[in-house]
Amino acid sequence: MFNKSSAASTAFSRRGFLGLTAAAASVPLLAACGGGSASQGADPNGVIKFWDMPWATPAYNDAAKKIAEGYAPESGKLKASYQTIQWNNFYQTFSSAIASKTGPSVSTGGGFQSFQFEQQGQIAYADKVVDGLKANGMFDDFLPGVLEPFKSEKGYVAVPWQLDMRVFWYRQSLFEQAGLEVPTDWSSLLEAGKALKKIGAFGFATGSGAGNNIGNHSMIMMMVNNGGGVFTKDGELDVMNDRNVEAVEFLLELVSNGIVDPASVSYTTENLNAMWRDKKAAFGPYVLGVPERVGDTSGDIMVASPLAGPHGDKGGLVFPNNIMMYTNTPSQESSEAFLIHYMGQLKELWKQKLMNALPVFKSITEIPEFASDPNNVKIVKEWQPIAKTFASQGNVLSDKLAVLDGGQALNQFTQTILTGKTDAKSALQTFQSGLESVLKK
Amino acid sequence: MSLTTAQKGLNRARRGVAPSGAGEPSGPTNRTSKLSAQTSRTFFWLLLPSIVLLVLIHGYPLIHAGVQATHDGSLIETGNFVGAENFATVLSSPAFWKAAQFTLLFTIVGVFGSWLVGLGLALLLRTKIPAGGTFKVLLLLPWVVPIVVSSTAWNWLVATPDSLIPSLFRHLGLGAPLFLADPTLAAITVMVFKVWVSFPFMMMMISAALASVDSTVYEAASMDGASRWQQFSQITLPLIARSTYISWILMTIFCVNDFPTIYLLTGGGPVDATTSLVVLAYRTVFQDFATGPGIAIAFLMTMTLVVISVILYRQIRKSSVE
Repeated sequence: MFNKSSAASTAFSRRGFLGLTAAAASVPLLAACGGGSASQGADPNGVIKFWDMPWATPAYNDAAKKIAEGYAPESGKLKASYQTIQWNNFYQTFSSAIASKTGPSVSTGGGFQSFQFEQQGQIAYADKVVDGLKANGMFDDFLPGVLEPFKSEKGYVAVPWQLDMRVFWYRQSLFEQAGLEVPTDWSSLLEAGKALKKIGAFGFATGSGAGNNIGNHSMIMMMVNNGGGVFTKDGELDVMNDRNVEAVEFLLELVSNGIVDPASVSYTTENLNAMWRDKKAAFGPYVLGVPERVGDTSGDIMVASPLAGPHGDKGGLVFPNNIMMYTNTPSQESSEAFLIHYMGQLKELWKQKLMNALPVFKSITEIPEFASDPNNVKIVKEWQPIAKTFASQGNVLSDKLAVLDGGQALNQFTQTILTGKTDAKSALQTFQSGLESVLKK
Repeated sequence: MSLTTAQKGLNRARRGVAPSGAGEPSGPTNRTSKLSAQTSRTFFWLLLPSIVLLVLIHGYPLIHAGVQATHDGSLIETGNFVGAENFATVLSSPAFWKAAQFTLLFTIVGVFGSWLVGLGLALLLRTKIPAGGTFKVLLLLPWVVPIVVSSTAWNWLVATPDSLIPSLFRHLGLGAPLFLADPTLAAITVMVFKVWVSFPFMMMMISAALASVDSTVYEAASMDGASRWQQFSQITLPLIARSTYISWILMTIFCVNDFPTIYLLTGGGPVDATTSLVVLAYRTVFQDFATGPGIAIAFLMTMTLVVISVILYRQIRKSSVE
């Protein structure tokens, strides 16, 4: 027994041990951050590789795959293959693949991904696709204002295919129970929140826990609702403007009055869903399809009309998800032809009720499968026309927005507001400094 | 109180001699010296493929990461050489030091908390308790269950004011603590979660070490009139010292590198209260897209881990010599 132990001791050399320790300690850290391998060359199979994200249930990806792989190109153009890419570490997945020239020719992806890769010279501009959409009449079918944010000085960086909206939802029964009308402006939201608190409900349901960005979006949405935003019209940082200060002061008032759940700062998406499901959430910003998401399709959870800010401004938030093309493709003409074809088939996804997002085409908003839901109709009619992007007060999207959307500065700002232990100007100043330091890098 | 017999037994045990043994330990040095040069060469050639593979798998990312840490590029482009600028940026950042402070606390609590719980349970399992086998299996569950599942379960237990544990506190008249929303409580919760996840590993390490301690040493100590505490502090602890130091080294690495425990439960919040260095590195690279500074953080962590490992390894050697 003891001899075995001693033998192990001798064999367990210091150098070897340290080597193993260093390897064990460093590899998970450094390998996770390191780049991929570096094989070269275009796709040898001669197909347009289309990478798509799991935008909804697996049925969505099945349907999208059917569309992509069912594409029959005209003579001389390449067929397409379909690959689902998981959201986990998706930016790393794309980056590694692009660096090793094994990436896609066409893909969906993060909302601002196309602008990030454009900065690195990896994006093929979609001007010819837009020309193609003009030629086949689809260009005129776009909902107003959805294509413009993608037009950079060099051309269209990507083509929008769905709109991920943030709108206010409310639970009718809680308002009835409290004897209240649904808020129409900020002051009525504040008063309703105070009354709802008396029946144990929250008038501004949000959350910024692990993996939940609704809290972040709530902050920007309220700034936009007040005519503010993080950037100027020219795309310069403008966090400290008066409208933002006013919006944050209002948010802090909601927090200090207990209208925001004090535990919201740690709420995951599931916690927030549970809030809506358990009738704790009476009103708040959220994504499309809340009734289905929380499992209550009784009609009690509905889309509210946009609120008027203290200066009469109205505004919602929209993330125009897009399809982008890459310079690394076996045939740019084939990429373009495939993308035009795919855009023409999008209706099928809404017909099958697979999407939790607004379509970008007017014709799809009119199909019975979409228009039969009054919430959808209300969003198209009342929210889409006033929805603004993260680029607000500007309009054109950029790679800066990726840093804003998922970055630490906004998350820290949101959590500071939701804990209520700050004042508006200090919080915004810290937010601005955080963004400046990251955007400088 | 005389501990002569027990002390002799303990000394013999430390030298690697069974209490009833003849005397000189049959150490491995002799066996090692008998290995011929031919055998050593054979070992080398047998090991070479694995060594090459390890160097390729671990070496390439390490070198590539080193390049990225000294450049201002992205995950796709290497960018321009900036020397130690990324390191300087990181070291002058308050966020880095806040994360370092939390990492240190998280590691200390994680290592010693799980060791204490593991030690207690390992000693308990050494005694004859009813359904000991079942008990042992159940105690392993926190280590065996995937972290995604256990973090979801913990979230369910503590996240909202109506969750089980806050409700329990409320019913006991202890207020309504917001375990994940209050920065201090969130830090404590994450550390307790880490101890809960890790103690089975410590328990197994210590159980294995305890199994190798000859019971006659305790019998001799009892005959000399040693109390339970004296037996524990002067026999058990010294005899399991080597395993203890190894487990501390491993747990230190596990804690410093622990991403999922923190990220899944709190995401590093609220307001960075539970942001460790590894979480900060991840967020810097993948959320702020600042590749160089993020990898610089990872390098600094690695260097710190190596230093800690060296210190603890010296303790292992020291305990072996003693």
